[in-house]
Amino acid sequence: MLRTIAGTGDGRLRLLAAGLLVGLIGIPLARLVGVAVGGGVASVESTLTDPAIVGAIWNTAWTAAVVAVLAVAAGTAAAVATERAGLPARGWLRAGILLPLLCPPFVTAFGWTRAYGPRGLSDRLLGIEIPGLFGPGGIVLVLTASAVPLVWLIVGSALASRVEPDAERAARAAGAGPWTALRTVTLPLLRPAILSALVVSFVFAVNAFGVPAILGTPVGFATITTRLYQDLARSADPAAFAEAGVLAATLVVLAIAVIGPADAWLTGRPAARTGETAGAPRAFSADRPDAGGRRVVAMALGAVIALVTIIPLGAVVLTALTRAVGLAPVPANWTLANFGEAINDRFLDGLAHSVELAVAAATIVLILGATLAALGRNGRGGGAIRTAATLGFALPGSALAIAVLLAYGGFLRDTLAIILVAYVAKFWALGQRQVAGSLDRLPDDAVRAARASGAGPWTAIQTVVAPLLRPTLAAAWLVVFLFAFHELTMSSLLYGPGSRTLSVVVLNAQQLGDPTVSAALAVLLVGMIGAVAVPLALLGRRRT
Amino acid sequence: MTALDPAAGAMAAGALAVDARGVAVAYDRALVVDGLDLAVAPGEMVVLLGPSGSGKTTILAAIAGFVPIRAGAIRIGGQVVATAAHHEPPERRDVAVVFQGSALWPHLSALDTVAYPLRRRGVSTADARREARAILERFGIGAVADRRPAEMSGGEGQRVGLGRAVARGAALHLFDEPTAHLDGPLRDRLLAEIAASRQATGAAGIYATHDTAEALAIADRVALVRAGRIVQMGSPLEVYDAPVDAWAARLTGPASELEGDVVGAAGQLTEIDLGGVRVRAIIDGMAGPVGSAGPIAGPVRLLVRPDWANLGGPLPGRVMAVRFRGSHTDTDLATPAGELIIRRPGPPTVGVGAEPGWTLGRGRIL
Repeated sequence: MLRTIAGTGDGRLRLLAAGLLVGLIGIPLARLVGVAVGGGVASVESTLTDPAIVGAIWNTAWTAAVVAVLAVAAGTAAAVATERAGLPARGWLRAGILLPLLCPPFVTAFGWTRAYGPRGLSDRLLGIEIPGLFGPGGIVLVLTASAVPLVWLIVGSALASRVEPDAERAARAAGAGPWTALRTVTLPLLRPAILSALVVSFVFAVNAFGVPAILGTPVGFATITTRLYQDLARSADPAAFAEAGVLAATLVVLAIAVIGPADAWLTGRPAARTGETAGAPRAFSADRPDAGGRRVVAMALGAVIALVTIIPLGAVVLTALTRAVGLAPVPANWTLANFGEAINDRFLDGLAHSVELAVAAATIVLILGATLAALGRNGRGGGAIRTAATLGFALPGSALAIAVLLAYGGFLRDTLAIILVAYVAKFWALGQRQVAGSLDRLPDDAVRAARASGAGPWTAIQTVVAPLLRPTLAAAWLVVFLFAFHELTMSSLLYGPGSRTLSVVVLNAQQLGDPTVSAALAVLLVGMIGAVAVPLALLGRRRT
Repeated sequence: MTALDPAAGAMAAGALAVDARGVAVAYDRALVVDGLDLAVAPGEMVVLLGPSGSGKTTILAAIAGFVPIRAGAIRIGGQVVATAAHHEPPERRDVAVVFQGSALWPHLSALDTVAYPLRRRGVSTADARREARAILERFGIGAVADRRPAEMSGGEGQRVGLGRAVARGAALHLFDEPTAHLDGPLRDRLLAEIAASRQATGAAGIYATHDTAEALAIADRVALVRAGRIVQMGSPLEVYDAPVDAWAARLTGPASELEGDVVGAAGQLTEIDLGGVRVRAIIDGMAGPVGSAGPIAGPVRLLVRPDWANLGGPLPGRVMAVRFRGSHTDTDLATPAGELIIRRPGPPTVGVGAEPGWTLGRGRIL
């Protein structure tokens, strides 16, 4: 379509985009590799044979693999249940499934410790706690809970776009029962989506820093990301810095080893669409009579949502409201004083930094993303640039942060600017994907009709393309804002004394301070995320 | 270049609406259109008739300026708009387009959509809206002026699309299967409105469709399109009566093919043997294809349209199927010379299995 909009002469634009990507991703990655192998093979070998390091790598790999499998199983089941089974109260169930997206995973982890940990809610009320919550078991559970909404989104949208209800109806009309239709038609059609969901959850878990920091570090269970954090804390030591380089490079290799083959398999697939879905009812009317079974499934799903998300969040709120850690969370012991204590200069500084960074990152990413989307559709070089941008998003945040630090730490260390560089490198693909996606949905003929009505390329953009894309662009801006606003992994590696972000302030409070005050901080953080995300979700719903 | 070319200079006086010569269009290196020659006179309606995938839409896209051409030249109103080296963008060509899926803009009301091309010509907002409203009224959809596409029916949307094309004020209108998504009465209504708008504007038109009945009804001339080339061009009657080959015959209407043996001439009529029985009928195409010499004698393949034969007569045949279609009845006959469809006005007169016999009025040698 952009071939219709744009004429020639976008060479300079392409050069600019390529240059920025080299600066944001190319140079940092090159520096990372340089530092990782700079000490020679012997140095790399000594790092990679250190039992503690090998343990951290192994821990990262196996927990991520287990999380990916569990999250995909649970998320796919949830997607089929909410999108196909005609459950009652579907709207509430969908909202409940997406709720964890509002919580930075480290807040969820904190919530689980307050709900199911020693001296947590369940311990207090029933005398039961989840054994091994601190340790690999708890890490897997909480990461799975946080990854399920991502899987649900991927599989759910594939159910809407790839699997036409008529395909399932045809299976039913051909004599398949609901389960046979699911197994022989729906799931095979979902295969690409399930694979992407596996990759996304694996990379998400490999990336995770906050959850292992809260649930693993106290019991000495290290992952690559927590190990990196510790190495950087003593980064004055050159050996530790070299080790960080090797670890970060290992993280990249781990992510690429999974993304690469999956990407190759997925791009080899024909983009099979089974047809229009507009207005088609999603559930089978033939299945309606079984209302009882449906209610049971809905209630079970609701119970899981409550256990996994609502109770931990509630535990955080209760902790924030309770006067002191040892007291029972009953109204007699309630107070707002914790919030007063939480809202101090440190908090306000962090808030200001996070807002500034998120606004700047979202704005830059949107401009760059639109440029890239345009180039990607419009000729040679676009594909390579797009791949590079996507690579930035796939790179584990810890590794990207170390790489950016290595490349630009010399003159940007401890500034907000270096955090911004990392944010833009990381989230560029997010903006580009949103813009490209909405350009794809804009039919060629809409632009052609404008041109055939006498509009030149810029007039066509002003009068047709921009008005139609405006809601998507606004949504894309808010999504990037949201991601940047609660970003923790990169910020925790890049912040300096004067450039703490809000997430860093909250994490530090949780690691060091009083649970009641950190709970209050967590409630404030989630509340602010919700204040942006809920209108965003409503905006998205109105668009469809 | 035009000034040096006496032929082009002469043409500019009574310039053709479209003059395409040797045009080639490629998608991803594969030629979709190749060696296309197409000339449309001012005010003339040419229908591109071909199966889906034959390149009709690509031909329109090349003329509208949506795709560049690889070879040849396209002139619109005498002005060169496309060669392999030169490409005028759509907004600088004197064309308006009616799209298959109507291609309305979700954010604009019907009124603003029709006013859009007027605004691009520099007409003031107030005047553009006034004129747009008049156009909507003319198409009987003044009531939807303030609605957006989501609030319109398919027929209304397609008429808004037609209104937008009319408002462009171009001397050439391109129609890309505009009735494809409409059914029955809506389709006829839109065709009537296209005809009316042609009379009002005097614009020439190129209309792509795969619907034979639509093509024959609306065209001044029909171009049969196969694999990106025009294989035959003529008036609707010509392409119906004298298709160039069996493919063209099937594309332009129901057609039966019989095996026969030409025995000799008898005045205006030809004596032909069909499955062992000799009859006399009007047989066209006796001279054979252009360039071949002398009248044909011996075995031939004979095209017979359903209205060229009749039930009752000396030729043998058994009724295989009967289809009553309201105003007429189609009867399938199995004959020694091949299968034959006969169309007669009125309700069925014979049943399946009957052997009523039949006569041949005329045929055409393929």
